[in-house]
Amino acid sequence: MIMDYAWLIPLIPLLGFVAVGFFGKKLPEGGGYIAIGTAIIAFVISALVSYEYLTGDLFAASQPYVADIQWLAFGKYEINFGIYIDSLTCVMMLFSSFISTLIFVYSIGYMHGEGQRKRRYYAEIALFLSGMLGLILASNYLEMFIFWEIMGVCSYLLIGFWSFKHPEGDEASIKAASAAKKAFLVTRLGDVCFMTGLFVLLWSFGNLDFTTLFDPAEIAGADGTMILIGSLLLFGGVIGKSAQFPLQDWLPDAMAGPTTVSALIHAATMVKAGVYLVARSYPLFIQNADVMLLVAIIGGVTAFVAASMAMNNMNIKRVLAYSTISQLGYMIMALGAGGYLIAMEGEVEASIGYTAGVFHMVNHAFFKALLFMCAGSVIHAVGTEDMRKMGGLSKKMKITSATMLIGSLSIAGFPLLSGFWSKDLILEAAMEPSILGLPAGTIFLFLFALAAITAFMTAFYMFRMWFMTFKGQPKEASEHCHGESPRSMTVPLIILSIFAACSGFLIFLGLNNIITFSVLDHGSGVEYLVGGFGHTAGHIFESIFTNVWTYVSMALALFGILLAYLMYCKGSIDPARFNSNGESKIYKFLTARYFFPQLYDQIALKLGYGVARGVDYIDKNLVDGTVNGISNAVVGGSGSMRKMQSGYVRDYAAFIIVGVIVLVAILYVIVSWGGA
Amino acid sequence: MIPIEFFLVLSAALFCVGIVGVITKTNGIVILMCIELMLNAANINFIAFASYLHDALGQIFVLMTISVAAAEVGVGIAILLHAYKSKKTTDVDDLTVLRW
Repeated sequence: MIMDYAWLIPLIPLLGFVAVGFFGKKLPEGGGYIAIGTAIIAFVISALVSYEYLTGDLFAASQPYVADIQWLAFGKYEINFGIYIDSLTCVMMLFSSFISTLIFVYSIGYMHGEGQRKRRYYAEIALFLSGMLGLILASNYLEMFIFWEIMGVCSYLLIGFWSFKHPEGDEASIKAASAAKKAFLVTRLGDVCFMTGLFVLLWSFGNLDFTTLFDPAEIAGADGTMILIGSLLLFGGVIGKSAQFPLQDWLPDAMAGPTTVSALIHAATMVKAGVYLVARSYPLFIQNADVMLLVAIIGGVTAFVAASMAMNNMNIKRVLAYSTISQLGYMIMALGAGGYLIAMEGEVEASIGYTAGVFHMVNHAFFKALLFMCAGSVIHAVGTEDMRKMGGLSKKMKITSATMLIGSLSIAGFPLLSGFWSKDLILEAAMEPSILGLPAGTIFLFLFALAAITAFMTAFYMFRMWFMTFKGQPKEASEHCHGESPRSMTVPLIILSIFAACSGFLIFLGLNNIITFSVLDHGSGVEYLVGGFGHTAGHIFESIFTNVWTYVSMALALFGILLAYLMYCKGSIDPARFNSNGESKIYKFLTARYFFPQLYDQIALKLGYGVARGVDYIDKNLVDGTVNGISNAVVGGSGSMRKMQSGYVRDYAAFIIVGVIVLVAILYVIVSWGGA
Repeated sequence: MIPIEFFLVLSAALFCVGIVGVITKTNGIVILMCIELMLNAANINFIAFASYLHDALGQIFVLMTISVAAAEVGVGIAILLHAYKSKKTTDVDDLTVLRW
């Protein structure tokens, strides 16, 4: 029973972290091979566990495998620590560990020149992977939160990896430091929400185990308002971690870290944790249709806002960062739409929104890891991130340009590549509530429109990036390029490009039965099932190709690609016509990122600084005042009292005599009163 | 038989003389002598009560006190001797270095 050893999955990368952290300096490549080894072992165990679970009786009955021990108990509350495996866990841990392995391998080439600091890098990415796998396997929310925070710390450390010495100079290293701080503080805002949500849930359920919290009977017995507040707060955590509107601004800044870190954060870990949390908490979230509506709206708005900002960015990594936010918005929107449907209908077999959201998360992991690693390969070769200085690189970097083309086609939703399938499922899921005429149908129609426009924008900015980088006239930085990147970088690219192209077909090869969420109504009560009851491959195929909107989104994506081709490759349309040479208001508005950084600054300055000053005042005057007052009293009192120590024997004798007389007098009074 | 009050008055008077001596005199030797006076006042009390209550315990206690007093004077004289060696004085008002 390999499943009993599933706790090894997060533990082994953790051991890798310890080993690399302590002995990395003595090991080749700063311990990079140890990190790769632990990732491979984690992947192998994940694969074995998944195989055993998915072929076992538990999956056939759509039941999770749970093994835990009591960690702490206080009063009527009880916290456990253990593992919880269901089909969602399997999918998540497989792609996380697989992609992490490839990223680690790629790092050997990419981080080769970092010298002694490689030790720190490999230790931190191993811990990062450990955090993600622990979060996926956690059997309760508190355990999940611990790993969630471990990832927060790792992202802080890794984004600020170059804060001491940046290859591009001191200014860049200062930027890296402040980007790391920003990522940490902004996600902290979400984490506080998450933690508060945990308190609320703990208060209403008595423990935080998934088995308890996802039990329909327990949910029915709990206070509905508390579940509403709890799920909203949990979603606050998601907004922070997955960079959803309005906390999306940390992710583009997080590009200050090494590109491999960006790939890790965007594809395999970190931001996926938020989406995973929504998918995991589905039984709680679907209790309130309004929560799910909010989830969908936040997702849709995020998708649109982030995609619009990617359209005019000149930094190759930032474009990818915005596209990540946008794609995450897609996933959240799909989950929201699917959940809204369940909340309204009460009984849904294999929610299409849930399947679409999780499916897109898997596909996105592949193509986004690929895109980031291609971008890293380009940056490695040309030494800049500014796309205006690139161009014509496809001749020099054949593998990179080809794999990046596959990634771009996939994310743009080019027919039959992986992004196409999940994106169309998402669009279908977003459309469904309005087709069924549910109360919020108009809102979902609007969200669908946003998503469709986003699909167009995605295709446009991805190919704008591709054409600016690989086609056209070579610019100054292209001259630096000395050919293709080393083998350790290109091999992961090729492997990932195969997955990025084909992972969409998984939905026809069994994934349709694995990533599902069903609510069955037995009359006596409902039942929440993860896994099983999937739509057949034929049904999904049919519903995608008989839907007219599929062709609309396909046309939009192709139009986006065409427009990018005309503007940035062929040059027959001058981009300057649309933005009046970068002077138009919209262009400036987008470059300023919707003025979100300023908004944050204002809030932080006005509100945060005001609160901090108030706290500072209380600290200085009230807290310090009390402490200083007590010490002053003691010092002053003893200063005057010590004068009694005159050094004259007769003074001491007199004190003793007076003291004896007083004592005798007191004793006399007591005795005489006692006698009376 | 002499009433016990006589003894008590005598010992109280002796004790007071001792106290006044300790407080007013500055010569270390004299102070030690005054302490002896106070101890002997206590001894008189012990003897008087032992005799009146027919209890030999008081007399035994006096022997004890005398030996302790001898030892105490020995220590006191030794301290004064050292003080005299270093300071050339036995005046306790000049020996005030142990103070604040």
